[in-house]
Amino acid sequence: MFLTKLALKNLARHRNRTLITASIIAFAVFFYLLLDSLIGGMTEMSYEMIINYEAGHLQVVTEEYWAEEEKLPLKNLITPEPELMTAVKNVPGYLGSSAELNFQAMVSNGVNELPVIGRGINPPDFAGVINLTDYFVEGEMFRVGERRAFGVSPAVIGKRLADLLKVQPGDYLTLLVKDRHETFNTIEAEITGVIHTGNPLVNEGLVYVPLDVAQEALAVGDRVSKVLMKLENKNRAPGVAKELAEQLQTINPRLAVYSWDQLEAVTVAGAKQMGNRLIMVIILLIAAIAIINTVILAALERMEEIGMMKAMGFQTKEVIYTFVLESTGIGVLGGILGVLLGLAGVGVFTVVGLDFSGIIDMAPYGIPVVGKIYGVWNPLSFVTVFAFGVIVSLFSSILPAYWAADKDPIKAIYPK
Amino acid sequence: MKKKTVGLTASIILILILIAGIFSVAYGALTAEEIIRRRDDNEYYDSARAEAELVIINRNRRIVKTMTSYGQGDNGLVVFTNPRDRGTKFLKRGDDLWMFFPDAEDLVKISGHMLNQGIMGSDFSYQDMMEADKLIDLYQFELVGEEELDGRPCYVLEGTAFEGKEVSYYRRKSWIDKERFVGLKEELYARSGRLLKVMTVTKVQEIEGRWYPLASVMEDKLRKDTRTEFIIKNIEFNPEIPEGTFTLENLR
Repeated sequence: MFLTKLALKNLARHRNRTLITASIIAFAVFFYLLLDSLIGGMTEMSYEMIINYEAGHLQVVTEEYWAEEEKLPLKNLITPEPELMTAVKNVPGYLGSSAELNFQAMVSNGVNELPVIGRGINPPDFAGVINLTDYFVEGEMFRVGERRAFGVSPAVIGKRLADLLKVQPGDYLTLLVKDRHETFNTIEAEITGVIHTGNPLVNEGLVYVPLDVAQEALAVGDRVSKVLMKLENKNRAPGVAKELAEQLQTINPRLAVYSWDQLEAVTVAGAKQMGNRLIMVIILLIAAIAIINTVILAALERMEEIGMMKAMGFQTKEVIYTFVLESTGIGVLGGILGVLLGLAGVGVFTVVGLDFSGIIDMAPYGIPVVGKIYGVWNPLSFVTVFAFGVIVSLFSSILPAYWAADKDPIKAIYPK
Repeated sequence: MKKKTVGLTASIILILILIAGIFSVAYGALTAEEIIRRRDDNEYYDSARAEAELVIINRNRRIVKTMTSYGQGDNGLVVFTNPRDRGTKFLKRGDDLWMFFPDAEDLVKISGHMLNQGIMGSDFSYQDMMEADKLIDLYQFELVGEEELDGRPCYVLEGTAFEGKEVSYYRRKSWIDKERFVGLKEELYARSGRLLKVMTVTKVQEIEGRWYPLASVMEDKLRKDTRTEFIIKNIEFNPEIPEGTFTLENLR
């Protein structure tokens, strides 16, 4: 007990050193927490982007289609029969479902052509899964059965695509597609709305047209590529997917259900975040070296004091205990300080957010995010990084304390 | 009595068919199918080797690419020879198309949507290059009239794709020279009826006993102010093509 008290007293006695060392630890903890919150926020946001603008929580497709989805084939499509749709609507936590037909197309404004992905949708169903209402910068979403003059189809495109093609609502586009028989067909469309979302793919690579228009142009009858579903809680998606898949086996054994976390885009985003985590580990290593350095120097500086303690009859293990405890105390102090600062910093991040759009374009770095990035709370990180600070302080003090305590007291007091 | 009537009707039909046949031969009136067949005979070859030039004109920009091409049945090889693209090769084997870039030493298979894009930025798509089947096998042709095109009398034919056949263009309207049986102009349409491309032949020459189009202009109607001229400088039919020409190994 005496040794513990002595260690704590030492902390107060060498106030400046304690504060400097603790502030280094606090800085490392704080910095880590901020970055962790930001990376967590980016990951979460890129998932939300994919869920909210592209994929929903669940997708009902045929397994064959899923395997070669990136080619957007017009084979292995599904027919949204009443039986299937009833099963879809009866899943727990169901919020909405939308059948869509995706296809490759060249969009032309009469001057230039660009490759895009065409997406046939049924607006009311689509809004139940992917709500674009707030993202219209011009015009609006077309309505069911809407046709413009001369039977021209309405279409909604992203802002970036509209800028590239130099078009606006009221202008005409031609979508050149290949139908199921590999024969060229065209969809003449008038732009009714322009959207600007947080998802770059939607902004520059998608053209929405009515589902029936797409089905007719591609000669696929009433078939669709997939049925998207939205649930109340995205974390329930994997479980619901499994249940629904079993149920659908009786309707059509080729049908499969995939949850959002199985999407390739999500896996890729996840893998990229793993890379970011590696950077975090390196940051922690650098912090650990700084802590070790400070603690070692602190111990060496007090070589004479250690010699005196030994001369007064302290045993080696008692000296080590005192020093390790003192160092751990600094770790705890720094950890608490860092966590407090982290709480404030992450709090600001989650509420105010960081605006990256003006600084750099994040899309090339695999982060499909534009606009503001908000941090997330990750309680586990707080606990982990606090423990890390304390443990590093503890272990880094053992060796120098042992080395000093093991010395002959006379040599320790008079090193020369 | 009934038997006699049937026999009489059959004889009349037979006579009518014979008369129709004699008259069509006498007046040189060919059916759409015969016209296309004669055109196919002129324009399709078993094997050929050609040196050609591709002139891509996009507004004020003019890019010239030269190439040597080999064709044999379903296979084809194009080797670009102009300095900028020297060594770039296309290989078509059946329904597959590969491209080789010498600088990157990269072999790329062109498939799916990429097939619809223009070759080296031209108005000819990869798909256009892939269509090697005889038109008669793909389209139901109909003779819709006769017109004069640049001083040449032409048959005007309209072809609609046979149901179930995989063709790029659903409908094509062809102007075929009445005397030389070479297509002089062709309009290619989408299923929706939209005009996608227009090809005009600007030079026809008799080579080894057949009339063959040596220069043509393709215009992509979904783009503005662009056209691509394809000029054959030299063509040789049924040449000796070394074995292994149409292999992936030969591309590298």
